[in-house]
Amino acid sequence: MKSPRAVGSRALIMAAVTGVLFLSSCAAPPPAPAQPPGAASWEQITSEAKGQTVKLWMYGGDTQGNAYVDEHLIPAAAKEGVTLERVPVADTKDALNRVLTEKQSGTTAGQVDLVWVNGDNFGTGKEAGAWACGWTSLLPNMSLTDPADPLLSEDFGTPVEGCEAPWSKAQFTIAYNSAAVPDPPKTLAGLLDWVKAHPGRFTYPAPPDFTGSVFTREVLYSVSGGYAKVRLAFDQGAFDRLTPALLTELQDLKPSLWREGSTYPKSSSELNALYAGGQVDFTMTYGPAELTKLVTEGTYPATTKVLTLEEGTVGNASFLAIPSTSGHRSAAMVVANLALSEEQQAQKADPAIWGQFPVLNPGALSPEGRALFDHLPSSPVVPGYEVLSKNANPELAAAWVPALDEAWRRHVLAGN
Amino acid sequence: MAVTLPPGLPREALRKDAARNGLTRSRAAGRILRTATAAALAVWFVLPLVPLGLWVFADRWSYPAPLPQHWGLENVDSALSRGAATGFAGSLALGLAVSALATPLGVLAARSLAFHPSRWSALFSALLFAPLALPAFVTVFGLNVLLVRLQVPSSAGVVLVLTAYALPYTTYVMRLAFGAHDLGFEEEACTLGATRGQVFLRVQLPLIAPALARAAFLAFLVGWSDYLVTVLIGGGSLVTVPLLVASAAAGTGNDGIVAVLSLIALAPPLALLLFAGMTGRRRPGARP
Amino acid sequence: MFLPETEVLITRSRPKPRVPGALLAVPAIVIVAFVVVGGSAMVTAQSLGLMPLVGRPELSTAAYTAHGGDLLVGGGLSLAIAGTSTLLACLIGFMAALIMMQGRWCGKLVAAMSSLSIPLPHIVGAAATGLLLADSGLLARVFGTAERWPPLVGGPWWAAVIFEYAWKESAFVGLVLAGTLATRSVDYEETAALLGAGRLGRLRHVLLPLSLPALMTSGTIAFIYSFGSYEVAWLLGRPYPEPLPVMALRLYNSVTLTSRPEAAAVAVVTAAVSLCAVLMALAFLRKIPLWR
Repeated sequence: MKSPRAVGSRALIMAAVTGVLFLSSCAAPPPAPAQPPGAASWEQITSEAKGQTVKLWMYGGDTQGNAYVDEHLIPAAAKEGVTLERVPVADTKDALNRVLTEKQSGTTAGQVDLVWVNGDNFGTGKEAGAWACGWTSLLPNMSLTDPADPLLSEDFGTPVEGCEAPWSKAQFTIAYNSAAVPDPPKTLAGLLDWVKAHPGRFTYPAPPDFTGSVFTREVLYSVSGGYAKVRLAFDQGAFDRLTPALLTELQDLKPSLWREGSTYPKSSSELNALYAGGQVDFTMTYGPAELTKLVTEGTYPATTKVLTLEEGTVGNASFLAIPSTSGHRSAAMVVANLALSEEQQAQKADPAIWGQFPVLNPGALSPEGRALFDHLPSSPVVPGYEVLSKNANPELAAAWVPALDEAWRRHVLAGN
Repeated sequence: MAVTLPPGLPREALRKDAARNGLTRSRAAGRILRTATAAALAVWFVLPLVPLGLWVFADRWSYPAPLPQHWGLENVDSALSRGAATGFAGSLALGLAVSALATPLGVLAARSLAFHPSRWSALFSALLFAPLALPAFVTVFGLNVLLVRLQVPSSAGVVLVLTAYALPYTTYVMRLAFGAHDLGFEEEACTLGATRGQVFLRVQLPLIAPALARAAFLAFLVGWSDYLVTVLIGGGSLVTVPLLVASAAAGTGNDGIVAVLSLIALAPPLALLLFAGMTGRRRPGARP
Repeated sequence: MFLPETEVLITRSRPKPRVPGALLAVPAIVIVAFVVVGGSAMVTAQSLGLMPLVGRPELSTAAYTAHGGDLLVGGGLSLAIAGTSTLLACLIGFMAALIMMQGRWCGKLVAAMSSLSIPLPHIVGAAATGLLLADSGLLARVFGTAERWPPLVGGPWWAAVIFEYAWKESAFVGLVLAGTLATRSVDYEETAALLGAGRLGRLRHVLLPLSLPALMTSGTIAFIYSFGSYEVAWLLGRPYPEPLPVMALRLYNSVTLTSRPEAAAVAVVTAAVSLCAVLMALAFLRKIPLWR
C-alpha cells in the first residue's frame, strides 16, 4: 500500500498537469473589433431595453457623484423602463480589470454594462477589445454635442470611434490656501520655485495615481517649454528626448517636498487629507467641483482658492463606455443617451448636486435647455468652466501615461 | 459514570474553587501590577475605536480642533444614502451563506478525521488546512479566470472561495470537540433502540452544540470581514460593508461616513458575542 | 473512486453507516481542493506566461525577473512587517491571556475589550488606525503637536501598519491562549503552588510551556495572515517600497497588458514564502512535548 504522502503528491501532480492541459486551450482570443449591435434603429433599442438592468461601474469615492447618480440618473432611467444600478469601485481600473477577466474567459453576459472611464483605462481597454464600438452615433442626444470638439473625438490621443459616449468635462485644477500663500505663483514654473522657497509645504500624489500622473505631465509641458513642444502621440524618441529634463526637475524638487520627498501620498485623497490637515498649502484635483463641497463642509480651510496658471492647465473629457462583454447593450445605450440629455447634464452641472462641467455644445441647445444652464448657481470657490479652461492644454496620448508613470517610479520614487 | 468534558466547556466551578482556596491568590503588589496591566491592555484594545465613536457624530470637525465642532447625525444620513443598508444586507447574506456551508461541511470533515482514520486522513488534513497557508489574493488571481470561464455566478464564486477559507476554522473547532466526544453515548443510544434521527437530535447535537455555535460564528466572520475576495471575484455584484468602507476611504472628507460604516460592521458580530456571553457559553475563539 | 480502500476501514462494532466514514470529508475536500489546487495551478500558469491577455501563450520566466530587485525588497519588507507585528501580538496576547484567566473584574474587562476588535474587518481596523494615528488624526489633534508628530502613517517604519496588525492579532492570540489555559492550567498551577513555586516560577515552568503550542499556532496563523494581506498596508503604507501583496495588486490592476503575469509571479513568490513559514512552524511544533 502506498503511503498517503506519496498518493498526495501524485494527486497534486495530476491536478497540476490537468490544469496546465486545460490552460493550453485557454489563450485569450485575439481582440476582435466589437460589432455594433446590428443595424438597429433607436426605437428597436429602446423597446429592447425595457426591463433590462444596467450595472454602471464608477469610482465611488466622490459622494456628490454617487448622490447625483442615485438621486437623479437612476430615477430618470427607471422612467425609461431601465433598472440602473451603481457599482462603486475604489479605482476605475477595478472595472477594466473585471472586463478584461471576462474577456479572457470569453463570457458574453458580464457583470459590467457601463463604465465611467477615460484616458489610459479607455486606451488599454480598446487595445484589448474590451469595449463595444460604433454605437454612439445611434444616440439621439449626440446631436447636442459638437462633432468638431477635439476633447470628444479623441480621449488622451486614442480616437473615440464611437466606443464611448461623452459624459463630463474636467479641468485639472490646483487649489491653495490663500491664508498661507498670500502671493500665489502665476505659472507652473513659478509654483516649482515657490516650492523650493518654502520647503515641506507641497507634495503631489505618487503616480500611477490619476491626479499625480497629471501633475507630472503638467511639469513635462512646463520644462519642455509648453505643450506645443511635446508631440501628443507617443513615440520613444520624443520620450527619450523629453523625459530627462522632467525627471531631473522632479528630483531637484524632492528635498523641498513634504517629508523631504522621502515619500509621497499614495493617492489624491491622501494629498487632500494633508491639505485639510494643514500639512501642505496646495492640493490638486481633476474634479474641481469637489472643492465647493469640501470648503462648505469645513474639511478644507475657508481661505481655499483656485490657482490660475497663465499657460493654462490640462483638460479632458470623461465618458461612458459599454464593455464588449455586456449582455445589456441596448439598455446601457439608453442610459448613455439619457446621461447626455439637457436635463441630466444641467442637473449634473449644478455645484449643489455635482458640479461636473457639461459636454454639450451651447449652440445646439434648445431654448429650454439653455435656460436650464443659465439658471445654475455659481460656486463661491471655483470659477466657471470658461475661466478654468482658458488656454486649456490637450492631454498626451494614453501610451505616454504608463511610460511616464513607470519612469517616475524608477527614477524619482525608488532612486535616491 | 466518567464523562469527559469537551475542552470547550466551562470550568467555572474549578476556577472558583481555586480562587476560594487561596493558593493562587496574589499579594497586594501583584494586585496593583495586575490592575495596571489590565487597564493598559483595555486601553490598547479600545483606543483605535475612540476616533470612530467621535467621527460618527461629527458633522463638522476641521483640523486642528481636538473635538468635533458640530455634533449631529449627518454622517448617518450620508452613509445611508451611500447604500449602507444594501451593504449591510449583502454582508449579512454573505456571512450567513458562508456559515451555512462551512459549518456542516466542517462537521462532516471533522467527524471523518476524528472517527474514521484512513490512509487518506493525512492528505485530507493537509488539504483542509492548506487555505491557512495560502494568502487569499494568490488563489483569487488564479480562480478569477477559472470561475468566469466556468460561468459560475460571481456571488456564488465569492461564497465558494470564502467557504474554502472558513473550512479550516470550522473543521479545527469541530475536530477538537469530537476529540473529547465519547462515541459510547451514541452506541448506547443505538443499543437502546434509538433511531438515527433520535441519536442525532438527542445525543449528538447537545454534545457538540457549543462547538457548533463557535464554528458557525467563525465561518460567519470569514464572510463578514472579507474585502479582497468580494472585490476581485464578486466583481461588484455583491456590495458589502467592507467594500463601502474602502470606497469611502478612497475619497476625501468621508471620515464621518467611514466611521458610521465601521460601526455598522461591528454591530452584528458584537450582538452575537453578547448574546453568546449572556447565554453563558464560553467565548468563541477567533480569526486574526 | 475512494470506495474500495475506505470500506475496509469502517469500524465493525457500530451499526453500518449509510456512507463510509472517511468519505464524510469529501464535500469539504472538493471545495478546498478546487480553491487551493485550482487557484495555485492557474496562478502559476499565468506567472509562466501561459495565459496572456493578448497574444500567444509561451512558457517564460520573464514575469519573475521583470521586477527582481523590487521583489526581493518587497519580500524583506513583508517579512519584517509580519514578523514585528506577530511578535508584538504574541507578547501582548500572552499578557492579556494571563489577565483574562485570572477571572475577576479586570480579567473580564480585558476579555470584553479584546473581543471588540475580533469581529472588526481589517479594512475597518485600518481606517480606524488612520483616524487615530495620521498626521491630522485624533492623537495629533489632542496633543496639539502637529508639526512634530512622528510619521506613523505612511512613514519609513510602517508603524501604523504594524500597529493595526498587532492590535487585531493580539486580541486573537489572547483569546485563543485564554481558552487553552482556562481548560488546562488551573490544576497544574495549583499543584505548582502547593509545591511552593513562586509567581515567576509558575509563569516559567507552568504557564509558558502550557501555552507554547497554542501560541505557536495562533502566532503562525497571524503571521501568514499579515504577510499575505493587502488592505491594511495599502491604506496605511507608503508607495515605495511595497509589501508583496500591495505590489501584486498594483500590477494586477495596472493597465499595462503585460503586467498580469508579473502580478501572478509576485503572488507565487508570496505563496512560497508563506508555505515555508508554515512548514517551519510545524517542524518546531513537533519538537514541543505538549503538542498533540
